[in-house]
Parts: sequence; C-alpha cells; structure tokens
Amino acid sequence: MTNAAATLKRWETLMFALLVVIIALNSLDSRYFLSIGNFINLFQLSIEKSIVVLTMTLVIIGGEIDLSVASVMGLAACVAAWTFQHGAPMPLAVLFALVAGVLAGLNNAFWIAYIGLPSLAVTLAGLIGYRGVARILLEDRAIGGFPDWFNRLGQQAMIGPLTASIVIFFALFVFFAIVLHGSALGRLIYAVGSNVQAARYSGVRVGIVKTDLFVGSAFVAAVAGVLYAARLGSVRGDMADGFELDVITAVLLGGVSIFGGKGNLVGVGLAILVILNLRNGMGLANITGNTQNYVIGGILILSVLAPNVWQDIRNKWKGRGT
Amino acid sequence: MKKLVMSAAAVALLTLTPQSGWAQAATATPGKDVSMVLLPKFLGISVFDQAHKGAEEAAKELKNPTALQFLGPTPQNSVAGQIEIVTNAATQNVKAIMISNNSGDQIVPAAKAAQAKGVKVVTWDSPIPSADGEDVFVAQVDFSEIGKVMADMTLGILGPDGGKFAILSASPDASNQNAWIAAMKTALKDSKYAKLELIDTVYGNDESEKSYTQAQALLDKHPDMKLIMAPTSVGIVAAAKALQDEKLCDKIKVSGLGLPSEMLAYTKNGCAPQFALWSFVDLGYLAYYTAYMLSTGAIKAEEGAKFKAGRMGEYSITKDPTRAKGLRVLMGPFTIYNKDNVEAAAK
Repeated sequence: MTNAAATLKRWETLMFALLVVIIALNSLDSRYFLSIGNFINLFQLSIEKSIVVLTMTLVIIGGEIDLSVASVMGLAACVAAWTFQHGAPMPLAVLFALVAGVLAGLNNAFWIAYIGLPSLAVTLAGLIGYRGVARILLEDRAIGGFPDWFNRLGQQAMIGPLTASIVIFFALFVFFAIVLHGSALGRLIYAVGSNVQAARYSGVRVGIVKTDLFVGSAFVAAVAGVLYAARLGSVRGDMADGFELDVITAVLLGGVSIFGGKGNLVGVGLAILVILNLRNGMGLANITGNTQNYVIGGILILSVLAPNVWQDIRNKWKGRGT
Repeated sequence: MKKLVMSAAAVALLTLTPQSGWAQAATATPGKDVSMVLLPKFLGISVFDQAHKGAEEAAKELKNPTALQFLGPTPQNSVAGQIEIVTNAATQNVKAIMISNNSGDQIVPAAKAAQAKGVKVVTWDSPIPSADGEDVFVAQVDFSEIGKVMADMTLGILGPDGGKFAILSASPDASNQNAWIAAMKTALKDSKYAKLELIDTVYGNDESEKSYTQAQALLDKHPDMKLIMAPTSVGIVAAAKALQDEKLCDKIKVSGLGLPSEMLAYTKNGCAPQFALWSFVDLGYLAYYTAYMLSTGAIKAEEGAKFKAGRMGEYSITKDPTRAKGLRVLMGPFTIYNKDNVEAAAK
C-alpha cells in the first residue's frame, strides 16, 4: 500500500514538474501568457471538455469507458436549441436537454449493467446514435438567438473574472473528489474497477455502481453541452464532435489506468492543467493544427512510458541487491 | 479682373473636385507595422494555400514588417480550432484577422471579443452568416456574374453559330448550383446568346460515378448536343472523362466550373477548352489589402468606402445583398482557364 501511494505520488510529481516546465517556457516565450485574461481564455476554450473529464475519470477508474460523451454533449445542445426554437422558454429547453442526457445515460447503463454488454461497444453505439438524433433534430441548420442571460452564462464573467462554466468546473471538481476519495460510492467504484468478480462476491451491487457511473457521466456531459451552446451562442448538429478522444487523453495523462481501479482526481486535475497550458502556449507561439496534436500525443506516450521504465530500472536494481 | 475671377474659380474647382465630385479611392500606405493572421477553414487544402500565397504577395508589396501568420485548425477540429485561434489572436493583440469561416455563427462571440480588443475582422471565401463580429466580407464572385460567365464560355466554345447544350449539375437541391443555373438562364435571354439552346438539365449529385453515367446518358439521348455545361468541379471532370472515354472530344465539348489541377489534361487535349473559377490567390491578396487598410485607418468598414488594392485595382465596400445585414467587397470576376493559362494555374 505504501508502495502504491508512493507510485501515485510519483505520477503527480511528474505531472507537476511537467506543468512547471510548460508554464515557465510559456512565460518566456510569450509576453501575453501571464495575464488574467489569458488564463481565463485558457480554461474557457476547453472548459466543457474539462468538465466531462471529471466524470470520465470515475468511469475509467470503475473499469469502464464512455465513448458517447461528446455525442451526448451535442445531443443536449441540439435538444435545448430545438425545443427553444419550437417555443419552449429557455429554462425549460435546458431542462429538456438535461433530461435527454439522463435518458441517454440510462440507456447506456441498461445495456452495460443489466444486459452485460461491454461498455466499449454500447457507448460506441451511443456515440453514433445520439449524434444521429442530434443531426436529425437540426439537419444542416444552425440555431441561435438565445436569450441574453443564457449566452452570458457561457461568455461573461460571473464571479470576479470567472465565467459560470469555470465556477461549475471547480465546484464539480470538489464534488467528484469527495465522491471518489471520501464516500462509500467512491470505494465501490475502485473495488468494481480493480476486480469486478471479487467485488460481486463480496456483495457489491455492481449494477447500481455502473448505473451511477453512466447516468452521472451522461448527465454531466449534457450540462457541458448546454454550457457549450451558451459559450458559442449558436448550435449545430456537429457540436462537440470528436471531443471524447481529448477527454480520454486527459484522463489517461492524469495517471488513471485504462484497465480500471487505479488513479485519482488530483493527477487528472494536473493533467488538465498540463494540456490546457500546453495548448495555450503553442497557440500563442502560433503553433496550431496537427503540430499541437502531435505534441500532446507525444507527451501522452512519454508519460505512460516513463513510470514503466522507472519501474523496470528499480526492479533491476532490486534484482542486483538480492 | 474677370480673367482673375475665372482663373480663381478654375483653381477652386480643380482643388475641390477630387473631394466633392467623385469619392477618391483610398490608397494604402506601405511599411506600416500590422500584425495579421490568415485563418482558413482548415489546413492542407490547396485553395487555401493559394489564398495564403496571394496574401503573402500583398504583404510583400505593402512592406509590412510583421510577418503574416497562416494559422488553421485540423479538419476534425475546425470549429473549436477556429474559435481558439481567433481568441489567441486577440490575446496577442494582432491588428487584423482574416477568416474563411467554417463555424457559422458559432464564431460570433470570439469574433466580437476580438473586435472589442480592437482587432479588425475580415472574412473571405465564407462569411459570418449573421455578420455579427465581422467588419467586412471579401466575396469571391456574384451569382449573376456566374450565370453570365457560363453563357459566355458556351458561346465562346461553340462559336457564333451556337448549338444545343445540356447542364450537368450537382444535386437537385444544391442551392448555389441552382442559383447559378437560374442566373445562366437569365443571362441567356440576351439576344447575344440567341443561338444557344439549353435542351436538358441532369444531376450527378457531385458523385464522380453518378456524374459520369449522367454524362453518358446525355450523350446517348441527345446526338445533336454540342456541349455539356457543368457548374460543379466534380461534374465537369466526370463529363470530360466520359467524352474522352467515348472519343467524342472532337465533336462535343465540356465547360463549367473546375479546378485547374483537375482539368489540366482535359483542357490540353481539347475536351474542355474553357472553364472558369475564381482565383483564390487574388482572393487572399484582396483580403490582405482590405484588412491592412482597415487596420491602418486608410478606409473604414462602411458603405461607400473605396480603395485601391494594388495590382487588382479599385474596389468599394457595399451592402451585402446575400445576407440580412453585413458589408462586402465583391472581388469578381472569374478567371477563365484555357490551354494557355491552365498549366500555370494547376501548379
């Protein structure tokens, strides 16, 4: 156990060191980097993805994966826009969007938790299916013209310089940290994620844990989708298309094992900061497009490799000692 | 005395005329330091690289000491990527950003925020639909112009005796192609084109296979047809290939809108002696001039402003008739490609 704790600490130390290096390089490279406005932008530009990263962390620690999150984001945004355009007042439209998210989550959970299909397949079907519904609702149109208060939600500072989306992100971060690391449900998620058979034999109601995970994931994705619509002020059927990969990247970079049972939100929080600062710094250095993806992909590989290599070296030294 | 008054009046007239008589076209002052970003829909598309080439040409001419930044997202990340680039450009206090908008109105909050920081937002190729957050749109061509060019090319290829021709379009509900065909029909009413007879219109849905079969069907159905007009870059290639495969290029020709690189072979071998497209090099060049002159205060983004854009000559800012609101600079005209210039353009 102390060993495991030490490993976790090492991962976070690695992330933290990486973060410090990136921030230092960014500050040296661009005189625009160290400003409050830029830090707000840095969060703001990927805030919806960052929100979804939180629930994805829980899902992956629970030994599952949810590929449908980006499509649920798009679905929620489209449901809100469509119902608004068909006469619903905006608060009601938002409610419909969140309900759509919960329904999508229940659908995922049903096939995974009660029928026993693998989440990879079920949520891949969700990725395609929910996006399909979103596109059917909006076809090739764009819907905008939302009330001002709704657009302000995504675009303007609410508390100090922080936008509502950023406040929601930090609130959810604290909430999910408590759920994962301080609640009974959190312990069950780790248990199910590390060994689902053992958990089942020791009386864990695995189905309920998984249902919680997928409904929570889809609900938070729907919230993020609505916030995305508010930030852009206009909705199209392709909203958030492809975001799921960025979300999963952040979780893995955060030191969460893709096989479940390992990882924590502190590491993931640091990974989010690493990615955001890296993207922002490259953006300010006028490095865009494929080069950005290439660098982030490279860092992911390195960060997965580094601890393993370290472990190998340690094992060899130990081998020599005995 | 009388003479003096007269000459005084003449002097007054001379000095006044430029201001009062005609609105003088503003000219750019070269050498000003203007940081500018050219933002295509995404990177890796040849027409956008051509626009970049044109913008660099203008930058060199205007001796702008700050290098032009050509920044774009990947196709998979176009919307979020464009928003990110606009936001970062505003953070960097660039003076102007030129966008081929692929984000519909979703770019509006970012563009407005940039404007609020003093960035001039010029769109080219594809505007912001609501025109919010946009100073001016540099439009490539006018729809009615497209109809006229199609009629002119048909007449040019068939000669004064004219003849029968058919249209091979994209899908039946492609709004731009339909508008262009309608514009051509309007143009054909001119007595100049009296000898041209449009006998059929078919649709290849912008799929190579379907366009090819539709072109073959036209050849079977209308043995007296002299030309296929395809206002789509997919259709024109398919029709030219059908003619070449049937070895009919001596008798029947193809024309329309196409990419020089794809049409090179067919133009050289005479299947498609003339076709048209707007020049993306010029579009980039004009967008750069417009943005540079807006940023340096040489012109204002308002109706009636006139300016001289280097080698391309004079342009003016007008209301955009294609949108509810918004201003545009209309580039036009087309470049007509034939065997003399297609090779250079295909590179």
